[in-house]
Amino acid sequence: MLATATLAAGTALAGCAAIGGTVPGCGDPLRLAIIAQSVPTASYVPCLHDLPPGWSTSGFDPSQDGTGFLLDSDRSAGRPVTVRLTVACDTGGASPSPSWGPGVLTYTRLYSISPRFAGTLYDVFPGGCVRYGFDFADGSQIALVEQFEQAVGLYPRQQLRLVLKRELGVELSP
Amino acid sequence: MSTLPAPRPGHEGPEVTPLIIASPRGRRRRPSGEPPPLPRHADHSIRWYLLLGGLAGVLWAGMSVPAGLGLITRADLGVLHAVAAVRAGWLTRVMLEVDALASPWTVRLMAWGTIAVLVSFRRFRHLAAYLVVVLGGALLLSAMTQEIGRMRPVGIVVLGPWQGYAQPSRPVATLTLALTGMLYTLVPAGRWRNRGRWAAAVVVGVFCAARLYLAVDHPTDQVTALIIGWPLAVVGFWLAVPNDVFPVSYRGGRQAHLDIGGRRGEAIVTALDHQLGLAVTVVEPFGLEASAGSTPLRIRVREPGGAETVLFGKLYALSHLRSDRWYKLARTVIYGRLEDEKPFSTVRRLVEYEDHLLRLMRDAGLPVPRPYGFVEITPEREYLIVMEFFDGGQEMRKAQVDDPVIDDALRVVRRMWDAGVAHRDIKPSNILVRNGQALLIDVAFAAVRPTPWRQAVDLANMMLTLALASTPEHVYERALTVFAADDVAEAFAACRSITIPGQLRSLMRADGRHLTSRFRQLAPARRPVPVQLWDIRRAAATAALVAALAAAVLLSGIYLKVAGLL
Repeated sequence: MLATATLAAGTALAGCAAIGGTVPGCGDPLRLAIIAQSVPTASYVPCLHDLPPGWSTSGFDPSQDGTGFLLDSDRSAGRPVTVRLTVACDTGGASPSPSWGPGVLTYTRLYSISPRFAGTLYDVFPGGCVRYGFDFADGSQIALVEQFEQAVGLYPRQQLRLVLKRELGVELSP
Repeated sequence: MSTLPAPRPGHEGPEVTPLIIASPRGRRRRPSGEPPPLPRHADHSIRWYLLLGGLAGVLWAGMSVPAGLGLITRADLGVLHAVAAVRAGWLTRVMLEVDALASPWTVRLMAWGTIAVLVSFRRFRHLAAYLVVVLGGALLLSAMTQEIGRMRPVGIVVLGPWQGYAQPSRPVATLTLALTGMLYTLVPAGRWRNRGRWAAAVVVGVFCAARLYLAVDHPTDQVTALIIGWPLAVVGFWLAVPNDVFPVSYRGGRQAHLDIGGRRGEAIVTALDHQLGLAVTVVEPFGLEASAGSTPLRIRVREPGGAETVLFGKLYALSHLRSDRWYKLARTVIYGRLEDEKPFSTVRRLVEYEDHLLRLMRDAGLPVPRPYGFVEITPEREYLIVMEFFDGGQEMRKAQVDDPVIDDALRVVRRMWDAGVAHRDIKPSNILVRNGQALLIDVAFAAVRPTPWRQAVDLANMMLTLALASTPEHVYERALTVFAADDVAEAFAACRSITIPGQLRSLMRADGRHLTSRFRQLAPARRPVPVQLWDIRRAAATAALVAALAAAVLLSGIYLKVAGLL
């Protein structure tokens, strides 16, 4: 009986924890190092600013092939924004958009405007690229796009290297 | 020193238990602070394992502050650079192969294999322990991975594939956990488990060496992973399925029976000596096949004159208490609340109750074994009740059942009615015959002031038992010398398939005669006594069980994912 209760409680807790998956914040550079390691050439790494109300993250998955995670909004339930850092992106057919920082080029490719607002946004920078896939219901899309663009930031690799050297005394390679 | 007065010679009637004080020291009170006969203590390895758990805690605490993390990381990198000095093309290929061998699929295969074996051998307690330990390990792993958020080794070329944060090393922890789970739930303790430990240590050692060579883990990532997968898991199994209570064995026999060798065997002898003043010469299992609710024992005791007396003992443990709870819950759900099915709250209460019933029935002149009391083996966990051994008694189905035996057996039921008790488990194996006398054993299920329905059922089961060795017509005829025809009619009006003990039901099936119907034909007609099939308790228990099953289905999917089995 005790074993069953422990299993149930533990599983439920773990399930909740798994759904919540932590994506490193832009103010926590020591945790960002693993993202930098997933694409050693990338001059920026994606990180998370404060999330707007109604948004959460899940599926944080850094590996030697890049890093991905999901941004979920309660106004777009079941259709999270997919964020992925890779070495390169195919931006063919995408339209340039206003860039938000030095060395970063932004592109947008829309697949549908109505009844759903779906497409991909690219932040391209030397040695890497962050791809954001979104699929929102028509009507709320402008606010949702603005919110996730503000939620995700890009942390310069050079700055991360300096922090690691200062805090831990180690060199981020390369 | 004896604390009970010995009965004066000539005053020992059948109602007085004679004391067999043959132990040189006699009875002895255990002073405060002295351990019980079988103390529940952690052996040295468990203490070491807990210390290692503490070491993991210290490492995690160190890594939670940048200064500590930097210090540990630089030390780790020093080791990795030293290992990297032996890198060579061919060796890298070998290490990559080794790393790939212990992939998540290998671990899942081992885990599912363990679960399959545990299910096929119906070792559900070990299965539950395995699932809890694996889940606990996975939870701790996930929690610490998120909490520390450590990067992979830096300043060195990482040669192998990786995923997620580095600390603790998930592949090392899951492989170790899978191997530990196999060892502690499938492999018998002793020589085979020791060999298994060495084999597992070699496998894990090679895997760790490969990952250090490839620089995918820091050494301390592996240290904490090994602590989660080995020492902490072993402590989990020690708590949930201690080997002295739930040994892994493939020798057959019921899982409910305890091993009475080793420390427990010595503790039984000591407890009988100190607590009952019995000089025990031999303790051996007896009639295991007929008992599922306890471990039955035959105890040989030396009397003061040097002669030997045989006693019967039943060893009860927490496992038996839990079995009793599940048995009663199952009865409530399947049959409804026939009567009081409340489980016992502790092992002590269970043993106290049986001892009390033996004395009460003995006082009422019923032919039950003479009680000698019970002893404490491990406080609140294990107790041994001691009673007379019916030497020369034969089970009713193997004995010659003639008129004196039939009459005596029926008079036993009459006496129970008069005394206001019910045995509740009347069946051939619980009625012994010796010198033409019917003897009742196993009174653990008996009830005082039972319902009239239950008393009637006792009579029906006794008549059915007797009819197996005779004919219903003859048993009915003899019953009318002890009971009124209406009593017999009530007995078979109360009798249903579910009120007949399993053993009696199977023997009746094998016999082929329609005994119950025949008794109903012989007795005066009477409408069936309604059996309480549904009540609030049963409805609640059934609803709770269905809800628990639904929740289990829902949670099992999450569990498999969280525990890394998918």
